[in-house]
Amino acid sequence: MKKLFLLTCAIGLLLAAPARAVDIQEVTGSKSGVKAWLVEDHKLPVVAMHFAFQGGSEQDPADKQGLAALTMDALTEGAGSYTAQDFQKELADRSITLGFGAERDELDGSLKCLSEDKQQAFDLLHLALTKPRFDARDIERLRARQLAAVRQQFADPNWQARYALLSHIFAGHPYGQRHLGTMRTLKAISRDDIAAFAAHHLARGTVTVAVAGDMTAAELSAALDKIFADLPRRAQLAPIADAPETADAPTILVRREGTQTDLLFALPGPKRDDPDWYAADIANYILGGGGFSSRLMQDVRDKKGLTYGVGTDLSPSQHAGLIFGQAAVDNPKVAEALETMRDTMRRFHDDGPAAREIAAAKDYLTGSQPLALTSTDKIAGVLVAMQRDKLGRDYLDRYGDIIRGVSSDDIDRAVERWFDPDKMTLVMVGKPEGVAATQTRDAVKQ
Amino acid sequence: MRARAALLVFGLLAALTGNARAAVFYPTNFTLANGLEVVVVPNHLAPVVSQMVWYKVGAADEVPGKNGLAHYLEHLMFRGTANIPPDEFSRLIAAQGGQDNAFTSYDYTAFFEEVAADRLPMIMQMEADRMHNLRITPETAGPELRVVLDERQQRTDNDPEGRFIEKLDHAFMPHYPYGRPVIGWKREIEGLSAADAQKFYQSHYAPNNAVVVISGDVTAEEVMRLAAATYGRVPQGKVAPRRVFGPAPQPRARELTQIDAGVEQPEIVWRFAAPSYATQKDGEAYAYEVLAEALDGGEVGLLYRKLVSESGAASSVETSYDPDARGQTSFTIAASPRPGVDYRKLEKEMRALLRDSADQGLDAAAIADAKKRLQRSAIFARDGLMMPGYAFGMALTTGHTVADVEAWPDRINAVTADQVNAALRDLASTPREIMGALLPDPHASAAAREAAQPILGHGVGIR
Repeated sequence: MKKLFLLTCAIGLLLAAPARAVDIQEVTGSKSGVKAWLVEDHKLPVVAMHFAFQGGSEQDPADKQGLAALTMDALTEGAGSYTAQDFQKELADRSITLGFGAERDELDGSLKCLSEDKQQAFDLLHLALTKPRFDARDIERLRARQLAAVRQQFADPNWQARYALLSHIFAGHPYGQRHLGTMRTLKAISRDDIAAFAAHHLARGTVTVAVAGDMTAAELSAALDKIFADLPRRAQLAPIADAPETADAPTILVRREGTQTDLLFALPGPKRDDPDWYAADIANYILGGGGFSSRLMQDVRDKKGLTYGVGTDLSPSQHAGLIFGQAAVDNPKVAEALETMRDTMRRFHDDGPAAREIAAAKDYLTGSQPLALTSTDKIAGVLVAMQRDKLGRDYLDRYGDIIRGVSSDDIDRAVERWFDPDKMTLVMVGKPEGVAATQTRDAVKQ
Repeated sequence: MRARAALLVFGLLAALTGNARAAVFYPTNFTLANGLEVVVVPNHLAPVVSQMVWYKVGAADEVPGKNGLAHYLEHLMFRGTANIPPDEFSRLIAAQGGQDNAFTSYDYTAFFEEVAADRLPMIMQMEADRMHNLRITPETAGPELRVVLDERQQRTDNDPEGRFIEKLDHAFMPHYPYGRPVIGWKREIEGLSAADAQKFYQSHYAPNNAVVVISGDVTAEEVMRLAAATYGRVPQGKVAPRRVFGPAPQPRARELTQIDAGVEQPEIVWRFAAPSYATQKDGEAYAYEVLAEALDGGEVGLLYRKLVSESGAASSVETSYDPDARGQTSFTIAASPRPGVDYRKLEKEMRALLRDSADQGLDAAAIADAKKRLQRSAIFARDGLMMPGYAFGMALTTGHTVADVEAWPDRINAVTADQVNAALRDLASTPREIMGALLPDPHASAAAREAAQPILGHGVGIR
């Protein structure tokens, strides 16, 4: 059998040219004043628009948790003269995908259609934003769907772990609330609450818009006015304070019957605008963000076979930054898995990453950049995030230099500051053997 | 993660398979001298290329007692070759900014990578390498078997819904390959050896049993040249024959109930026997695809309108149908009863609706709308890199051709209202049907206690 000349070739490719830049135009609606970023591409007859309004589930009153999510769901359920059925049929008949959702800090929307249908699609979006009907019968249907979704969460150990973790770390802060609400708070939401939430939060002064696909700048300028000009200029946002870092590092056990224990931990992490964000991103890639290449995956999965998957993620929000880590482990192996994870993290924190690991992380982060831009949807999503995070239109061109410019001192500083396993808040959902918890609670079922 | 089993793939693909209004994908395809089939779909939206390598083997091709072997081997494909040390495969791709993964299903096993377009030669070489140079050693085979067992725990044993679906399919298709889990029964996984994997590899992994689909910022000429230089050097293998499917199975029961203390929200799943592209006569499978769209179709479908919007017995309902199977396949309806509504009431309404619709026939306009939606979905399938890989990979590993994929919109267009209504009548009357109910434990469940009182205020009653 002939051997392939694989490794030589791989090394040669390290020097390959960087990806082509994406041409981003800034477009303004003259009447609405709304600005949008556009990547024009006429190869396919498809248009994708993404947008985000400031203020998400964090805006839910404590006794009406789930309000933002329910309101967003209801926007596409009838508007103007269209009943919910008529509105949905208009979308379906033209193959227009239009949807809204509530994130923690923002209200998201996306639209995708064939370019020949874009005017009708923009008309429907305009109606959804400015004249939603919120008919009582439809609200009850959507409330029932959200109640069922809340109940489904109860069976999901990941959700149980996440809720136990966030409600501890963000006790008393809106980030500790439940995005879909509780059985009780969902029932407390009235039609008036929904109408007021939409009126207060859908504003043209706080919206970020991006479009990719078969559309010109002139068409987009007119569309921005058509869609957004009738919205109020200002949103009425409840002020949200920055969340303080937790002082303790407890181990919380959530009792659940099952063969495995879900482990979820959090460390204080960087916000997106932190000067050491990129250093933290590189460090996280090496420890647990790099999929099959990460230290945690190598140590816990590949060498010991203790889990199917283990990983860490940076999770920046407007008012707090966290680093999450998770794994699912058979009950008898939890102690060994935790010890291995802590040991890997301890060595990472004390010794820092090796030069070759930093080089590999930088190669991945710079090389994978174009993979985020392979469809009109993905491009529009990236463009909204770039605007929200104030990265500048030339960010994609600068990104490679930013990553390459991060020094090993920068990374050591980030590791020292954010990757200390002693600061870990840990939640275990299941019946772990041989591990002591500082707090124990039952799974949430309400 | 590595090795998604059947459900995920089917969910993703129900809408995508073969989405190709005549010449939508504009593929170029060719076969190398060693038998490898290659399909190329240029797409210049971004300077990126995706590669999918499909093998014509899956869990359905396993021999009795070795359930889970196809999936185990999929994992081992990442654990080193004569040229690549164990654990280096994904790392080499990541070092180039690329991503890779794989999945196993009943009728195929697929591996894929996405990288910047100028890295294509590297990933073609790497896949060609592990097509014939795989090294399975005790040092990697042991830990990897534990990883597979961990995966089974995570997906199935520790997940009420995972356990439920596994039991349901086993009861629905007993003594049939699709009635066994792709990931394998725990006891059989535990008995798998490195030698089993080696034998399976040698009898199924070869260029003459594989399909490569490359989609992205490339030209067909470039891929032809690279394919000759990489895959072209892999020798032909002696491939074991595929499983011959026996007669369609008879369900072990009409109903399966799982009461689970961890569950608060009941879920109802109906499975009906249905023809696949491989077993159909006269284009029936295309009629079933139109039927699935007419019944589901988001909020405009018949089931949602009647059961959710009008009666309120359900809070959600959806259909799925997977025609890309070598044997008999299934048509699925899944629903959640509205909180406060007994699932038996939902069952009754669902059955009455199916029966009445089958008797009266679906509205011709609804069928025409569903056909139009499906045909238009083909245009969206070109927006992104992975869809051609799925469409051609699934077709070519289950006995169909590039032309079949490209003709899909025309075949959907050719479906008549009579065919759709015939499919609906078959569905409503087939004795090969099962209903599964995943239910809360009334003694443990907070929600079940609460269900005694109506929980929907604001003037809307529960009918």
